[in-house]
Amino acid sequence: MRALPELFDVRIKARSIAYLFGAGAILGLLTLVFPHSPEVNDLALVLLASAAIVVAVVVWASRDYIRDWHIHAVLVSGVLIVSLANYYAGPSTLYPLFYMWASLYAFYFFRPVEAFAHMTVVAVSYAIVLAIQDPDSAIVRWLLAVGTPLLAGLLISSLLRRLSDRAQLLERSEARTRLVLDTAPDAFITLDRDGVILSWNVAAERLFGWRASEAIGKTMRALIVPSEFGERHDERRLALVASDSPLATESFEVEFIRRDGSRFPGEATVSKVDIGGEVFVSGFITDVTERLRRLAEREALLREQAARAEAERVSELVRGLQALVDAALAHRTLDEILRELVTQVRGVLDAEAAMIYLADEEERLSVGASTAGEISGGHDFAERVAEAREAMLSRDDPAGEGGPLVGVPLLAEGEVTGVLVACATPPRVFGGEDLTLLRLAAERVGLAIAHARVYEREHKIAETLQRSLLPDHLPTLPGLDVAARYVPAASEAEVGGDWYDVIPMAGGAVGLVLGDVAGKGLAGASMVGRLRSALRAYALEGHDGARVVEQLNRLLWTEAEDSQMATMLYVIVDPAANSVRWVNAGHPAPLMVVAGEPAFLEGAGSVPLGVLPFPTYEEISAPMNPGSTLLLYTDGLVERPGENIDDGMAELAARVREAPEDPDALCDHLLATLVPASGAMDDVAILTLRNLPVPERFSAEFPAEPESLAPMRSMLRRWLSHAGAGEMEIAEITTACGEAATNAIEHGGASGGTSFEVSGSRNGSEVELAVRDHGSWREERPGDHGRGLDLMRTLMDTVAVEPTEEGTIVSLRRRLAANGGSA
Amino acid sequence: MDDLVHVQIDEREGEDVVVVRLTGELDIAGAEATGRRIAEAVPSSALGVVVDMTDLEFIDSSGVSMLFGLARRVGSRRQELRVVAPAGRPVARVLQIVEFDRAAPVHADVDSAVAEIA
Repeated sequence: MRALPELFDVRIKARSIAYLFGAGAILGLLTLVFPHSPEVNDLALVLLASAAIVVAVVVWASRDYIRDWHIHAVLVSGVLIVSLANYYAGPSTLYPLFYMWASLYAFYFFRPVEAFAHMTVVAVSYAIVLAIQDPDSAIVRWLLAVGTPLLAGLLISSLLRRLSDRAQLLERSEARTRLVLDTAPDAFITLDRDGVILSWNVAAERLFGWRASEAIGKTMRALIVPSEFGERHDERRLALVASDSPLATESFEVEFIRRDGSRFPGEATVSKVDIGGEVFVSGFITDVTERLRRLAEREALLREQAARAEAERVSELVRGLQALVDAALAHRTLDEILRELVTQVRGVLDAEAAMIYLADEEERLSVGASTAGEISGGHDFAERVAEAREAMLSRDDPAGEGGPLVGVPLLAEGEVTGVLVACATPPRVFGGEDLTLLRLAAERVGLAIAHARVYEREHKIAETLQRSLLPDHLPTLPGLDVAARYVPAASEAEVGGDWYDVIPMAGGAVGLVLGDVAGKGLAGASMVGRLRSALRAYALEGHDGARVVEQLNRLLWTEAEDSQMATMLYVIVDPAANSVRWVNAGHPAPLMVVAGEPAFLEGAGSVPLGVLPFPTYEEISAPMNPGSTLLLYTDGLVERPGENIDDGMAELAARVREAPEDPDALCDHLLATLVPASGAMDDVAILTLRNLPVPERFSAEFPAEPESLAPMRSMLRRWLSHAGAGEMEIAEITTACGEAATNAIEHGGASGGTSFEVSGSRNGSEVELAVRDHGSWREERPGDHGRGLDLMRTLMDTVAVEPTEEGTIVSLRRRLAANGGSA
Repeated sequence: MDDLVHVQIDEREGEDVVVVRLTGELDIAGAEATGRRIAEAVPSSALGVVVDMTDLEFIDSSGVSMLFGLARRVGSRRQELRVVAPAGRPVARVLQIVEFDRAAPVHADVDSAVAEIA
């Protein structure tokens, strides 16, 4: 144990003392060669010199194992040898000389206390030798011999002390460094420029199995570098030595060989050390076997984790895709499925974008769905994938733009139905794994699309049929305003069986039909078609409402398959009579809005069509004055899952109360407030009709064509009724006005007019009508047309035909009877 | 828009009498076509034709002209034409004004008209 690090290596002390002994012995022997005092005992001198030489050799040879106390012992033995030499070989200058050297050595290498101790031993020994040999001059010679080296020793000691004061820090740090290096866990080796080992620490001994004494002096290449790396070792060292930088450092991994021949991977960090032009190479060598093993373990762990994550990703994808296939089988729309597919694929591949191209019959591709617009270069790439009919990466396509793509054809029954393309987020590129994943996905996606397409085709046919059964446009009805809406169910993939119809009837009346066939898809739609045409036929035959509905029931009962049934409302609005009649076959009651206040038209409820062979239906009538509105609807508007239908109807009434009166606006308001934004649960059909308020004056313009006559009569009847005419008066005045209008169409139209106007007003009890055209009446001829004029003259009080520049005006007047006038 | 006038053809008395039932409104827009349909519906073997206008809401001079024309055609084939128009209805009123009964008898109901022919 050392309190302070020694300033000098014990090997240097050993070497120095060996030289000291050697030199002393040689000097002693040399005195024999030269003339010398006869008192000298030659044999004794030779023996003692030999002993000194033996000590020197032993110390030199064992310098690596020597300890400090060995040095002290050797110095003391030196004192003994010189004393004996002085005693036996006779007095000489040998003793003072040795004394001088010993002092120098002690003061140089030892601490002052130790040095003084040695000096005391030497001084006492010399004093004894002098006292025995020459008792006379002993004191003076002793003082001179002891005093001079003592002073010199003290001088050296203080000089060293002062030097050490300055150098101590450095020296200590060097010592510490040596100590640190010696006890460092890593091997530390110093080489000279030729690769000869100069230092070799304890860790190096442990690591390589060579002791420092064995390693130092040998070349590193021969000792610990495997033969196959020898050349490289030399090249590396020479390059380092030759490098310009005085502190060049490099680090590398290389294999080393131990004493027992085993090899290990090591990491060497070597530096060039240039001390005053002398170049060394020093380096730490670490055994990285363990580190490499941990690294490998960690990599294996990461690989395993990645593999597990990958497996989970795949199984998640497969689950997701399976869900999609199930969804496709459960009739989701193709669009929905495609949208979800691209989202899933993008997520699983961690792609920037994913899209699906669909192929038509000629395998032309068009965008089916995309997560974010069209991928740049995606179409060309997709076409190549479709042509190759196998999954591929875009990296073998030098012209591919917009980042690396991966694509896979979607096959169904051997046909390419589309191509799935994904685009990686730069700088990532897709690899073989993504390809495998996408191939896996494609099998299921292809199936999903095939299913969805089959379903979509059926759905389209049914929907087209359904749409074809609804009126293209609603008829323009004089004095009435009609609006209708049909909203197919959002989630229901099947086409519903709701329908409505508006049938203009004789006398200005209008039939409203709204029904719901329980049975969807093609069968339901075709039944709607039959009911619709049958109802039109029955209605135009002039049957009353109850009879029409009974006939429809008959049709459904006898012809429908699988006890098909339907609910239906058949409503006849007669604006001329300001009345409404209705028959209800198991349908939610219609709503009548009078002065903004809604009320359900209850009563007349009976079983739905197709339930009983001979049910009775009843026609109920109620007044429907101008300004009131009628609302027909299917249960999709009032039924919500988990809610009482009465609540739904109360809600409907509330919404109607706050809605505008205009039929179109009313429909929109109801759809906006009662149909969820996500879409209707069931089909919704709404039909509204408003009996428009009748104006004081009647004025209308019609196209000059025969089809204008019926609406004109209808409006006129309504107005006449409002103006207070009786039933027969209405019929007669309408007939007369119709004759005038017919003439206007025939004459006016023939001479280039495109329209005619009818105006009417009531002055007191007299009604005055004017029919104005843009042509000129031809000579009145007997026959058919003369009959028209006859009719007018008979039916009206006065008839005046007035040709003008612009055309002809026919004025008709008739005084109304006070009793409502039956002719 | 569908035709305002609707024509329904029935045969009575073992195909000897054709009954044509008119509903809706008969004006210049549908008169000509209606006349043609009736003429086609009456085989030369038939004894006559009854035009039932009980449920016809409206007739104007065009309709009347069609009936006059029909009367002429039927007469030339030595067949009989009878029309049915109950009194008090607008159609009966028009027929009365144009004195249609000079061309063919006007009945109040179909049965009596058919009986007259058969």
